[in-house]
Amino acid sequence: MNTETKPTVEMEEITINTDVLVIGGGPTGLKAGAEITESGYKVTLVEKTDTITPEDTSFEVLTGTCLVDNRGIPGDFTARLEKKGEIIERKVGAIVVATDACYEPLNEDYSLTLADNVVAQSELEASLGSNADDFDKKTVAFVTGFYRESNPLALERILNSALILQEQECTVYVYVNNIKVAADGLDRLYKEVRDNGGTYFKLETPPEITQDGADLTVTFEDPVLRRSMDLSPDLIVVEEAILPDDLNEGLAEILRIHTGPLGLLQKNNVHRFPVLSNREGIFVIGSARQTCGLSAALADAGNVALEVENLLGNGKRTAAKDQAVVDRDKCVICLTCYRCCPHGAIYWDNRAIISPVACQGCGICASECPMDAIQLGDFKDEEMQKAVKESVVAKSDEPNIVAFCCRNSALEAAEMASEFKMTLPAGLHMIEVPCAGKIDIDFIMNAFVEGADGVIVMACHAGNCKSEQGNTYAKWRVADAHRMMTETGFETERLQFVTLASNMGSEFSSIMADMEKTLKELGPSPLK
Amino acid sequence: MDKKQKKVIVIGGGIAGLTAAWEMARKNIAVDIVEKADFLGGHAIQYSCKATDECRQCGACSVEAMLKNVVNEPLITVHLGTQVEKVNQNGQFEISLKAGDITNPNGEKCADAYETDPIGCAAARGYSRHNAMFYDAKGQLDPEKTGKTENLAADAIILASGFQPFPAEKKPTYNYGIFDNVITGMDLERCKRVHGGLFCPSDKRVPEKVAFIQCVGSRDERLGNLWCSQACCPYALRSAEALKYKYPDMDITIFYMDIQNTGKDYSVFYEKCRENLNFIRTIPVDMYKTEDDKIQTRFMDDEGKPTEDIFDLVVLSIGITPGADNKQLTEILGLELDEDGFFQASDILSPTLTVKEGIFIAGTAQGPKTIDVSMAHAGQAAREAIRFVREAK
Repeated sequence: MNTETKPTVEMEEITINTDVLVIGGGPTGLKAGAEITESGYKVTLVEKTDTITPEDTSFEVLTGTCLVDNRGIPGDFTARLEKKGEIIERKVGAIVVATDACYEPLNEDYSLTLADNVVAQSELEASLGSNADDFDKKTVAFVTGFYRESNPLALERILNSALILQEQECTVYVYVNNIKVAADGLDRLYKEVRDNGGTYFKLETPPEITQDGADLTVTFEDPVLRRSMDLSPDLIVVEEAILPDDLNEGLAEILRIHTGPLGLLQKNNVHRFPVLSNREGIFVIGSARQTCGLSAALADAGNVALEVENLLGNGKRTAAKDQAVVDRDKCVICLTCYRCCPHGAIYWDNRAIISPVACQGCGICASECPMDAIQLGDFKDEEMQKAVKESVVAKSDEPNIVAFCCRNSALEAAEMASEFKMTLPAGLHMIEVPCAGKIDIDFIMNAFVEGADGVIVMACHAGNCKSEQGNTYAKWRVADAHRMMTETGFETERLQFVTLASNMGSEFSSIMADMEKTLKELGPSPLK
Repeated sequence: MDKKQKKVIVIGGGIAGLTAAWEMARKNIAVDIVEKADFLGGHAIQYSCKATDECRQCGACSVEAMLKNVVNEPLITVHLGTQVEKVNQNGQFEISLKAGDITNPNGEKCADAYETDPIGCAAARGYSRHNAMFYDAKGQLDPEKTGKTENLAADAIILASGFQPFPAEKKPTYNYGIFDNVITGMDLERCKRVHGGLFCPSDKRVPEKVAFIQCVGSRDERLGNLWCSQACCPYALRSAEALKYKYPDMDITIFYMDIQNTGKDYSVFYEKCRENLNFIRTIPVDMYKTEDDKIQTRFMDDEGKPTEDIFDLVVLSIGITPGADNKQLTEILGLELDEDGFFQASDILSPTLTVKEGIFIAGTAQGPKTIDVSMAHAGQAAREAIRFVREAK
């Protein structure tokens, strides 16, 4: 494998704003604000409600305030905030979203109406806090996890309430599907409630509950006794869904960040964990990004302080001058690049401009630009085409395979295979790309024109692309190429799209062996 | 800021230790990683990718990426095959190292055999090409590059000594170690990591029928292990789905008590699992070997009747248990263990703090964790350690 030494890159120093905006004044946001302040940055925290606790903080707090607009790039954002009809502007270098979760009782799932004897978990906790004595010797049934999957947070609340009820000599039943004990100390708590006399009915299907005024009946098939049972509790406690803040959807749009499962503000992409979003300089923590308890949320606050410091440092950043550059003469401001950039790194001012701080160098824009107006410093089209040509010129008797390898996955896997001396085809030539999204259809076609017997486009697995959709673009381009090949009667087996991960050295080796075998069966390329 | 170079020692080079070290080095703190095994990455570097046609967020590739960061970072010094012998606190921490018990099970067999069997011995060289720099051409640790048993000084310590996978021999009725085709989740991971696929140890053929048994060593009152290991449902479900994708005809059964959540889109993923896999809510107790090396199990079926089934391969989803040398480390460091035997955190809201100022815990040393949670916990520990060394005079 040839890795040429790249010429020294010309760097530029960029001065950036080091103030930070934190959105959300719950415990997570407040902790993040304190941590970031401690790192030496000026923090403004906005909270949509009128109060925060504690009121006294070491940084600026604007209550009753929402973010309504955000422009600019990391290190230079202009956030517009609205406080009681008044617009306040803050220039900041980074933004931390720390919205809290909200809770919704799931009584309707069980066809129950909230009443004195049918209460939501929060309501029970409030009553237990103020007058636990009222529950004296009652029979209390909890229901959880039948219509939606439960989670350890919900279980912990149930078990803590159950312990208090047991102190009041209550009889506790818990109707549950899977008991979600995957958190510190929960299995112990689960057993404590059982040892105190609590009964768990682990059911595959929900119990049937009838609510007739004061009369409650729970009917179910007891999995231990294997017969139908009726129980009439004095009180039924229904679980609550943990949902993201209503603000999230609007914030995602304003901040141009992707939403993930359940409307959380982080895609399910390991490269974002713990606190990154798809945009440099915009961080998501705690309940804004995952269903989590306070301890995990506070861990995020510590992590975001590290990330903010990594980004803002002492207010100076160096970036490669030519990481991604738009040719002013070629750009017609069609905004294709603005739309396809997964990192929100592109803005415009008479032409498209790529922020060197925000750009991650994936090259999706360069490949999508209809005017070929964008070039990456390290991966110029001309150099890529030259690399394709040279890789094919180095002929051998074995099938000539050109593999375009994403440097985040396939290239790592290739190097692992070669380090561990796994078998690789003699005619294999790898071409490094910063992301599969940089693989132009021109590169693929050119490889065949230059005489490659086969081409493999290697991308990260769906959902694992550092640039979110680079692998998808590559897949589409291969599909386009396949159509063109079919039209011209060229065997489509000669071009393959493969996904793999950085730690799949042996898979890399077997994929290549299969490709070599296929090409040997097909014989040399007709274009040779 | 103080001009004197701040230094932190990280005990343990698994994913938590690597993450903590990298985060501190990014803040210009010099880090020594002390690792008793002869490779970096701990258990997590031995895990395989569990993607189907899409990524399943197992985090194994994050370990690979973090290892790459660490070995290329000049501010981090790596001490493989070493462990902490003594710690004195005299303003700074003074730490003496001794040679570690090299725990790599394949190490001895492969040390000199690397030239003839590089793939088979990949395991002995730390599973990742990023560990290769510590070895010479024969596959031996290069004493020029790592493993010196010197004395170190540091302003703070992060304890990231990790966990011990539950020793499956402790559940004798499973006959692990006696029947070839009863393996652990760890064995499955290593097999996939090194060979890219799964086969039965007895005949090297791809199994047609596989059982996963959950909660082996976890939530077990008889053993006194009263905790959920938190990682085994995720790894079993993800591994089973990945196997089903690679080998569509494979028949896979999961024996379980309660299925725990796996990542953010758990409901969607679990639905898919229910379509592709068989779920049986019971934990079989006894394993027998058939004449053709298959594994026969007995369990209660859904109707409550005793049933038997035969599998080509049984995978024991072994849990996370406290590190084997936790007790010894508490004595050296002056720390305490919790009732389960993991290191006791002194603050429930920052479970990285300990009773000893300047000593922080990261990762599974504190309790069971998945890779992503370990990394976030290690970040938090790094943050606490950075605060501590910056405030120190």
